[in-house]
Amino acid sequence: MDVSDSVLRHLRHVAALPDLTSTRYELESEIGRGGMGVVYAARDRQLGRRVALKILDSAMAGEARIMAQLEHPAIVPIYEAGALPDDRVFYAMKLVTGARLDHFLGGSPSLAERLRVIRRVGEALAFAHTRGVIHRDLKPQNVMVGEFGEVYVMDWGVDAVAGTPAFRAPDARLDRRSDIYALGALLRFMLPASAPLALSAIAGKAMQADPCARYPDAPALLADIERFAVGLAVEAWSEPWWHRLRRFGARNALLLWLLAAYAGVRFLLFFLRYL
Amino acid sequence: MDKDTAIGGPHGRFPSTQVSLLEAAAAGLPGETLDRVIALYWKPVYKYIRSRFGKDNEDAKDLTQSFFAAALQRDLFARFDPVKASFRTYLRMALERFAASQHAAAKRQKRGGDVGFEPVEEQAATAESPERIFEREWQRQLFSLALDDLRAHCEGCGKRLQFQIFEAYDLAEGERPSYAALAARHGIAETAVTNHLAWARRTLRAIVTERLRGVTSGDRELRNEMRFVWM
Repeated sequence: MDVSDSVLRHLRHVAALPDLTSTRYELESEIGRGGMGVVYAARDRQLGRRVALKILDSAMAGEARIMAQLEHPAIVPIYEAGALPDDRVFYAMKLVTGARLDHFLGGSPSLAERLRVIRRVGEALAFAHTRGVIHRDLKPQNVMVGEFGEVYVMDWGVDAVAGTPAFRAPDARLDRRSDIYALGALLRFMLPASAPLALSAIAGKAMQADPCARYPDAPALLADIERFAVGLAVEAWSEPWWHRLRRFGARNALLLWLLAAYAGVRFLLFFLRYL
Repeated sequence: MDKDTAIGGPHGRFPSTQVSLLEAAAAGLPGETLDRVIALYWKPVYKYIRSRFGKDNEDAKDLTQSFFAAALQRDLFARFDPVKASFRTYLRMALERFAASQHAAAKRQKRGGDVGFEPVEEQAATAESPERIFEREWQRQLFSLALDDLRAHCEGCGKRLQFQIFEAYDLAEGERPSYAALAARHGIAETAVTNHLAWARRTLRAIVTERLRGVTSGDRELRNEMRFVWM
């Protein structure tokens, strides 16, 4: 049977659509696709709400189980998993509306807002690591910032994924430290050109080629960001004395102003006595 | 339930009947396996040769024939190593080497006064590379064979109506009829049209998978090829 280009395109599209007749979901539209699967927006007829449906090859059925273990505010909750008549698997999850991190950065958020997002991502990673799950492919396209500022890390722990070059650690075997590398790369990606050197140093330490030279875990990296945020010296950078002085000045501005005012008053009183 | 009626059974699954290339190779590559490979690859190879050398129909057919004859003579299919590449890539690379050697031989003939192949650089410029044409024709041929299988399967198991609806809607060139029009034409409910289309598409997908299983080395390569087809 001859197949024209347009029919071929159509067949490749329709025969790949998931057959949801045996499920409670109704397909709406495709919202994303990657090497491992396709994500559709769908309607849950029973509960009358919209969900995201990820359709995967049966060999990837473990992905839903991995995701279901991870109950965390920064990880998209799984509602249900199941198999389709053609043996592919699906899982339904919360449909996140908002912007992908790379698009979110296009809106030039403040440094504080950027740091808030990277902290949420780091917390999700730290949590997953305690459950023995590594992400393997952390990158801006896998982080969503919701319309109310909520942050979600998506696409966890897919074995077949080898990572995205700019965010992938040069490690022979991916483990928790490889995620730390990716978190550092994500931080670097999120920093504006005018970012303080201390933050660039944190990203640099996380991205060391030698895994042992990186932060030992996500909380250690987050603690360094926290130190920066409250004006303390960060572990990743031995700063020159004038930086230390300036930071000291910034942290103790009120005290220094009071001392200066006190000294000024004493100085004035000293001269008044001899008038 | 006998084998025929089980095809596309209660859940629309198409039973696995084709062994992988490696299993076939272990059994000494029976003719059936070769037929399967040639059925899928003959046209892509032919189109590649036409595009690469700007050959006319007859010459391209002869050269395609020569390629498969040489492949069989040199035990090309049995030497396939799935660790290095997919069978599709392996065959295309072999074809490129064959084409290059044939081109060199033709040039030698040309120097001797005989006219052989058009030099590559004198081809009519096309927007698509020969490699891209090969991949696209491979997909087209895969679906073409799968559609033949689907039609035969529908006729064999009393599902002519399903195929007619599928043909009228999914194989239509240009504007597709509405589900309501199809329902009225066949005197069935619109939901039945939806169900018949869903069944036919699911069965087509299963047939494509089976066709791929027969020309890949195992599950891993099969999954990769499925991603190539569907993504």
